[in-house]
Amino acid sequence: MRNIFSPLLWALALFASLAGTLHASLVCVKDDTEREICLAAPAQRIIALSPGATELLYAAGAAEQLIAAVSHSDYPEAAKALPRVGSYNRFDLESILSLQPDLLIGWHSGNPTEQLAQLEALGLTVYYSELRGFDDVSRTLRRLGTLAGTEARANAAADDFQQGIEALRRQYQHAKPVPVFQQIWVNPLMTVNDEHLISEATRLCGGVNVFGALPRLAARIDHEAVLAANPEAIIAGGMGEDNRSWLNDWRSFSGLLAVQRDNLFFIPPSTLQRPTPRLLDGTRLLCQHLDTARGRR
Amino acid sequence: MAAAERSLPRLLPTLLVLGLAALLSLALSVSTGSVAINSGELWQVLNGGGDALHRTLILELRLPRSLAAFATGGLLAVAGALMQILLRNPLADPYVLGLSGGAAVGALSAMLAGLGSAVVSGSAFVGAIVSAVTVFGLAHGTGSWTPTRLLLTGVVIASGWGAVITFMLAVAPTENLPGMLFWLMGDLAYARSPWPALFALLGVSLLLLPLGRSLNVLARGPLQAAALGVAVKPLEWSIYLTASLLTALAVTTAGSIGFVGLVVPHMLRLLLGNDQRLILPACALAGGTLLTLADTLARTIIAPEQLPVGVITALLGVPSFLFLLYRSR
Repeated sequence: MRNIFSPLLWALALFASLAGTLHASLVCVKDDTEREICLAAPAQRIIALSPGATELLYAAGAAEQLIAAVSHSDYPEAAKALPRVGSYNRFDLESILSLQPDLLIGWHSGNPTEQLAQLEALGLTVYYSELRGFDDVSRTLRRLGTLAGTEARANAAADDFQQGIEALRRQYQHAKPVPVFQQIWVNPLMTVNDEHLISEATRLCGGVNVFGALPRLAARIDHEAVLAANPEAIIAGGMGEDNRSWLNDWRSFSGLLAVQRDNLFFIPPSTLQRPTPRLLDGTRLLCQHLDTARGRR
Repeated sequence: MAAAERSLPRLLPTLLVLGLAALLSLALSVSTGSVAINSGELWQVLNGGGDALHRTLILELRLPRSLAAFATGGLLAVAGALMQILLRNPLADPYVLGLSGGAAVGALSAMLAGLGSAVVSGSAFVGAIVSAVTVFGLAHGTGSWTPTRLLLTGVVIASGWGAVITFMLAVAPTENLPGMLFWLMGDLAYARSPWPALFALLGVSLLLLPLGRSLNVLARGPLQAAALGVAVKPLEWSIYLTASLLTALAVTTAGSIGFVGLVVPHMLRLLLGNDQRLILPACALAGGTLLTLADTLARTIIAPEQLPVGVITALLGVPSFLFLLYRSR
C-alpha cells in the first residue's frame, strides 16, 4: 500500500511546490540593494520602518495594507494613528513579529543592520529602500505598488511626480544661475554638498549650491564661510513647519547680498529633505523663490 | 611651606609671560579663519576702517568668539583648580560633581522643545545651579560632611544626569541629534556674548588673590588648616559655591568642553609648584590661552567645515601633559 502511494505523494508534493514557485514569481521586484524580493501574493500586512517609507506607501495607494509604522511618521495625517513598532533606529522586534507582517519596508542606511538581519533570519521579507534622488522616488513608488498589488494608483502617482519634475526641468533649464546657501540646521550651522537631494532640487531650479564641493554630505560650517561665499539667496528650513527665525538671524549681516536683496526664503523642511512625492512641492517652491531672486537683480 | 611661599613680586614675571601668551593667542585667533585677512587689513579694521566684510568678520564673528573661548577656558581651569583643592583629589575637575550633567539636561530639554538659543543657554544655567544645590544639600545631609561624601554624592548625581541624557538622546527626533551631540561635546559656536564669562573671570581672579594663602594651607589638609587659624567650613563652602558658579557660566557659554579644567591646573603645578596665589591667576590665563588656540584650530583645520573644540583640547593637552609628567619623575 505504502509503496504504491508514495510515488504519487511525491508527485503531488512536487507539483505543489512547483505551483508555489510559479505563484511566487507573480510578485517580484528588485529592492535598492539590487536583491530580488518575491512574494507569494501581493502583501496584505506591511510595516514601514521609516517615516519616509510610510509616506511612500500612502502615496502608492497601500494605505489599507499598511498596518504599523515607526515613531515620527507624521505624514499624511492618517499615519499618526498607525500602531508604532519603535523608532527607525531601534525597533521592537516582538511587536513586529506579533503583528505578523508579510512585508517590511526597511531603510538601508538608517535602520540598524543587525535588527533587519534578525528579522530576515526569523523568516520575514524585508525590502531595503535607499532613496537618493528624484528618479528613486518614482521608481520606489512603482515597486511598492507592485508589492502591495496597487499598481494602478502607484504608477499614477509615479507618473505625476515624474511629469511634475520634468515640467520644472524644462521650465528652468535655461534660467540664469543663482548662487544659493542651503541652511539645514542652525546650532551648529549646517549645510549640504552637491550629493544631497536638496542640491539636486537646487540644480533643477537653476541654483548653484555655494558649498557644493564640500567633502561631506551634511557639513558643519561657520558664519564666516557664508559671509565669504556671499550667496545671492539663502534657503532655510526650520524647527517645525513654519518658523522663520533662522532666516531672521541673518539680517544682522547687512553686507550679505542675500540680505540686501531680501532673498531669505523659507521652505518647510519635510518637503525638501525627504525623498517622497512631496519633494515636488518643495522643489516647485524652491524654483519660485529662486525666480523671485532673479527678479530682484 | 617656606619653599612654596615665594613673595608676591617674584610671582609677577611668570604671570607676565602667561599674559603675553594669552594676548598672542587672541591675536592669532582674530587673524585666522576660513577667510584670509592679512595683517594690514586687520590693522585697518582695528582702527575703525577697512572693508565692510572684513569688519563684520573680525568685529562681529571672530573677536566675540575668541574672547568667549578665552573666558570659558579660564573659568574651567580656575574651577578645576578649586575643585582639586576642595576635594583633595587629583582626578577632580569642574564636572566631577555633576554640574555639566545638570546643565546638559537643561540645554537638551530646551532643544527638544524647539526653543531658541537664548533659552537653551538659560536652561543650561538653571540645570547647572539645580545640580549644584542638590549636591550641596545631599552632601550636607544631617550635619557632618567630608570631601569624600561630597565627591560620592556628586559622582552619583553625575551618573544620574548621564542616564537622563542618554534617554533624551534615544528618544530625540533625528534632526535634533547633531545639535544635541555638538552641545554635549562643547562648542563655541553657541557663544552669544563673551562679557558675562569674561567679567566673572576677571572678578574671581581678583577676589581669590587675598585667599591664596588660606587655600595653600587648606591644600595640605583641613586639620592643619584649622590649627593654623583658617575657618575651614566657610572657606570650603565658598570654594564649592565659587567653582560651581564659574563652571555654570562656562557651560552656559560653550557647552561642556572637557579636559581644560582637569589638565591645565595639573600642568601648571608641575611647571610652577603648588602655590595657589600663583596657580589660580595662572590657570585663568593658561586655560584661556589653551582654549583660544584649540578653538582657532577647530575652526580652521578643515575650514570651512568645523570640528568640535573638545577634540582639539584633548589632542593638544594629552601629549604636553604626559611630557611634563614624564619629565617631573
